[in-house]
Amino acid sequence: MTDQDKRLSRRHFVGATGAATLAGLAGCSGGGDGSDGSDGGDGGGNTLEVLHAWTGGDGARAAEALVSAFDEEYPDVDHEFNPIGGGGNQNLDAVVANRLQNSDPPSSFANWPGPNLQRYEGVLGEVGDVWESEGFEDVMVEEAVDLHQYDGAYRGVPLGSHRLNCLFYNTSVVEEAGVDPDSLTSVSALIDALETVQSETDAIPMTHGASGTWTTTQLFASTMLGQEGYDAYMSFIDGSPDEAAVRATFESLAEILGNYINDDASSIGLTESNQNIIEGNAAFIHQGNWAAGAYRNAEDFAYDEDWGFKTYPGSEGMYMLHFDSFLYPSDNPSPDATEQFMAFVGSEAAQVAFNQYKGSIPTRTDVDMSQFGPYLQETQEDFASADERPPNLQHGLGVPSETMTTLNDVISSEFSGPYNVDAATEGFVDAVSN
Amino acid sequence: MTRNTDTGDDSGDAVADGGVAEGGQRSGFSPIAALNERFGSDFVESSQFWLPPFLLVGLFVYGAIIWNLLISLTDFRGFGTPDYGDLDLQMYSRALADSGFIDAAINTFILLVGFTLVTLALGLGLAILIDRNIRFENTFRTIYLLPMSLSFVVTAQFWAWMFNFNNGVINIVITSLGLGRVDWIGNPDIVLWAVMFALMWQFAGYAMVVFLAGLRAIPNEHYEAAKVDGASTVRMYWRVIIPQLKGSTISASVVLMVFALKAFDFLYSLVGGYRPPNGADILATKMVREAYANLNWAYASAVAITLFLMTLGIVGPYLYYQYNRGNL
Repeated sequence: MTDQDKRLSRRHFVGATGAATLAGLAGCSGGGDGSDGSDGGDGGGNTLEVLHAWTGGDGARAAEALVSAFDEEYPDVDHEFNPIGGGGNQNLDAVVANRLQNSDPPSSFANWPGPNLQRYEGVLGEVGDVWESEGFEDVMVEEAVDLHQYDGAYRGVPLGSHRLNCLFYNTSVVEEAGVDPDSLTSVSALIDALETVQSETDAIPMTHGASGTWTTTQLFASTMLGQEGYDAYMSFIDGSPDEAAVRATFESLAEILGNYINDDASSIGLTESNQNIIEGNAAFIHQGNWAAGAYRNAEDFAYDEDWGFKTYPGSEGMYMLHFDSFLYPSDNPSPDATEQFMAFVGSEAAQVAFNQYKGSIPTRTDVDMSQFGPYLQETQEDFASADERPPNLQHGLGVPSETMTTLNDVISSEFSGPYNVDAATEGFVDAVSN
Repeated sequence: MTRNTDTGDDSGDAVADGGVAEGGQRSGFSPIAALNERFGSDFVESSQFWLPPFLLVGLFVYGAIIWNLLISLTDFRGFGTPDYGDLDLQMYSRALADSGFIDAAINTFILLVGFTLVTLALGLGLAILIDRNIRFENTFRTIYLLPMSLSFVVTAQFWAWMFNFNNGVINIVITSLGLGRVDWIGNPDIVLWAVMFALMWQFAGYAMVVFLAGLRAIPNEHYEAAKVDGASTVRMYWRVIIPQLKGSTISASVVLMVFALKAFDFLYSLVGGYRPPNGADILATKMVREAYANLNWAYASAVAITLFLMTLGIVGPYLYYQYNRGNL
């Protein structure tokens, strides 16, 4: 009897366990599907969740300024700004990719427009209403209007723009070498100047941080633009590259990288490389103008006195374009708040608040630049008066992300020392060819 | 040993009983009794203990592996849902044609073999030295084991600094010896060995602990008998002691090899990105890059399956060996 009872209760227990397990599993899978709904439904109904990668230095301060400006304009919107740093934008991209893949999109995330939008095919919504109601088409530069459309609809709003074809220098080092940076109007003149620096001073002629390949890829873009001209660069980006132009660019790059950069280039990144300019250990650096942010934060390092800017030799009159934008995922958890945020991102208040700290310039053409420093004011003038604004190669505007990855694979395997001009040329031509 | 015979008996019983049971109990058929008879007398009663973990592990580990295999047979990329209607081995043939994949696979294999062998040898050497009744034995043991307790993120940053061309401590030592500087990270022919050296430093302590446990399990009589027979110390270790460390060697090498396959963390932290220095790309980094930088889910899954098969190739024989010895 007791035995029977025991067995019975145990059997019940087994049954209960099984049922519980099944329920648990069902709960898991249900939760998996349901959480999207519930996140979107209750939690995210009004909370605006924005992901970006500005975690340190200028970026963090700029993001802070953006948030407080947003609070001022839209005090009623609940929001959550989540910075995801690490590996440039890599960790942010991975988080965004996972969340979009799991149908759990954030309200908005920072990324590049242009061909870069291809990788988000099918998961981005439309913000044409915002562009229309805010009149963005009239106030943004023409390229911003074009590059934020994909498949015939606006997918995001630009916040600011960096310039890519920049050559920065340490004034005292170039003076010591007797080089006048403003006279460098061609890539060959730059190479001559690097030679002069090498023979006249102990400084590194051109500092380069190549622990990631992106610095070399963007140097390729500026060098090609400067040496082979706008048309050659544009046809390279558009998928009909001139092999001779690519080869000539790589030949110049091999000369620069093979002779005039720091020995430890492969083991340092941008931050350490840029430090060489600040400390007077190097004459020149090619970078996007985010590099100037570090100069502003350095002590006793003033524009025009201690450091200077020169358009990358040969690309005078051009502004190689970069955009920091916020994109709008479809299936948006907080559509109303996100549209308000999108309208805010394109507004003068947001662009001034963010860009003056980030070291970039507004994408609107009607912004009062008085709050910006002299360097950014000059950049803005160059931007407004540029003959051409070619898209960049390494930051999303020139080629889709997969092509960009292939280009970086080529740089990694063929052009990170020893410099194999033939293989790199072939790899680049193959990668972009349609 | 005993377990082994048990299992043999059980399976024999089950077959024999099954035959009898079918004839005898057909009148009062109950599924629970049938299950019990088929798989052992307390199959159903004991299921409350093993069934929940069985289901959870089955779903989240083996289910995920099978799902991953399925995805690797599709052409899934970008966002959306994979199309399971059109399964083929295209991603695998693409991998074989991808020189980046081949390089990564070769590097993974070199890392696997080189790192494991050197770490085992070093660990064994350290264990024998520590086992010689030296002073401060515990201190030394702790010192050697310490790197193992540090995160890859920390050690990779250490080594990135130490390998720096200009002011890394390694090049400073080398130049003070009158030799030229070496570009540890930037030279594609050297970087894999540099990474291997750093990993070896981190894991030699682990191998040492495993071997030390093995050495301590060998009775003192063996040492004494060898001494009495007039064997030198080297000969004693080589002929008598080391052969008895087979079990420790196998279990340590399996763990080390699995670590070598997972060196992703170290490489990621070394450069702060998904792309290791030229010459040090391994399958794990390639997989993550394809998945998250390119959204090539199917291709990344194919790389993952390759990595999984490599791991299985290592762990499988080990499990079989342990099974034969009755340890499983």
